[in-house]
Amino acid sequence: MKKIGFFLGCNIPFNRPDVEYSARYLLNELGYEIVELEGATCCPAFGTMPSLDLVGWAAASAWNLTIAEEKGVDIVTGCGSCYGSLNEARHHMEKHPEVKEQVNKILSKVGKEYKGTVKVWNFINFLYEDVGLEKLKSKIKHNLNGLKCAVQTGCHNLWPSKAYPTNEDNTFFPTRLREICEAMGGVAPHYSTITDCCGMGALRSTASEKSLNLFKKKLDVIKEEIDPDITVMGCSSCLLQFDAGQALLVEQKKLNYKIPALHIVQLAAIAMGADPEKATVLASIPLNGVITKIKGGN
Amino acid sequence: MEEGGVNVIDLTQADESFVKELEALGADELRECIQCGKCGATCPMALAGLEFFIKRIVHAANLGLRDILLEDSSVWGCQSCNRCVEICPMDVKPYELIQAIRRAAMKVESCPANTYEGLRNLYRFGHAVYPKGYEERRKKAGLPEKPPTAISYDELRKKYQEILRNTILEEIAPFPLD
Repeated sequence: MKKIGFFLGCNIPFNRPDVEYSARYLLNELGYEIVELEGATCCPAFGTMPSLDLVGWAAASAWNLTIAEEKGVDIVTGCGSCYGSLNEARHHMEKHPEVKEQVNKILSKVGKEYKGTVKVWNFINFLYEDVGLEKLKSKIKHNLNGLKCAVQTGCHNLWPSKAYPTNEDNTFFPTRLREICEAMGGVAPHYSTITDCCGMGALRSTASEKSLNLFKKKLDVIKEEIDPDITVMGCSSCLLQFDAGQALLVEQKKLNYKIPALHIVQLAAIAMGADPEKATVLASIPLNGVITKIKGGN
Repeated sequence: MEEGGVNVIDLTQADESFVKELEALGADELRECIQCGKCGATCPMALAGLEFFIKRIVHAANLGLRDILLEDSSVWGCQSCNRCVEICPMDVKPYELIQAIRRAAMKVESCPANTYEGLRNLYRFGHAVYPKGYEERRKKAGLPEKPPTAISYDELRKKYQEILRNTILEEIAPFPLD
């Protein structure tokens, strides 16, 4: 049985544990043994240690990477920031041996050493490459039945491409998440603002209204060009904006429509037979129509 | 439009030593910038309407305009999305400049309150994002009340804190590291 370290981060276990439930269900269905990364922490988020200095950032990331190294597994994460922060830290240490050396001096105080042997996946690339679309297809219990999906890959899942071990052929024209949705029986067209930022993150914390306006611009384009049944995320921060952020726009009467939003692991878990209630229990935008459509197919 | 800020470029404030400080803090290709504006064209901050978007930040940094950069809040609104790094034809790595400015600002305690909150949470709990009521949310999703992260392992969390105490956090944290 293939093993994989499941890196939780913060937003998934604390704000959207239904995504954690779904990821665990999905990995089990796909035949992976989930290795718990006991003692793992925040990646660290870009507004924390990375904003203090490079060695502190790399040391905090290396703490997490060494947990996986010691267990001899690679890592998969559902959070774009975790994917970015861990991979960028890894990249910096690879490129600058002196940083790695300083990090290891710090780690040695708690009896640890960072070697640099762990690969950090996001779920898009993991499903696309490690699992593969054919195997994914073979595990589907409920075909998506033509469900129209607008995909949101997420910034950190794409850039900076130099820091990532695998990526889209063209990061400004991502297709992998669309292909994954289509492999499960959905329809996932391209749209003109497909790579635009959702506005979640530091922008939302610093300038909330501007962040939500930016998000609304993107949603309006999605509605006009595709009018999808659902939006499908590669990143948990994007999910917070597309779900709770969208509900906020509706509440503020700035939006007069609702499009359900799911993380790709939620959609895939439901397609593989997960209890839709558990898999989406914390969604703010109602999903009823989507589940009915999926269950209607076979 | 706010008064001052980068909209008023006062060259008498130009300070070469600040350019060097930023280079040392990670913006080592800063001087390669040709002000082509590609970074600004892809920047979510610009699309969202923040006035001090990335192209102007690089410009101000190259002039060494310390006060403007340390006081402006927009560097803290950067999404760390790295579109600018991807697209820059001169490999200036504008995002790494944003980090360098933040690092310079942290040294003089010039950063938004939520940055401290994130850092404090990171140190205390091992999680920068640590929202209340998560146990209930986890139960709803059929999961144990606590995830198997540092929050569930006191000894491991203490080791993580020891690592953080051996970084620059020890020097600049505006809260006790105990």
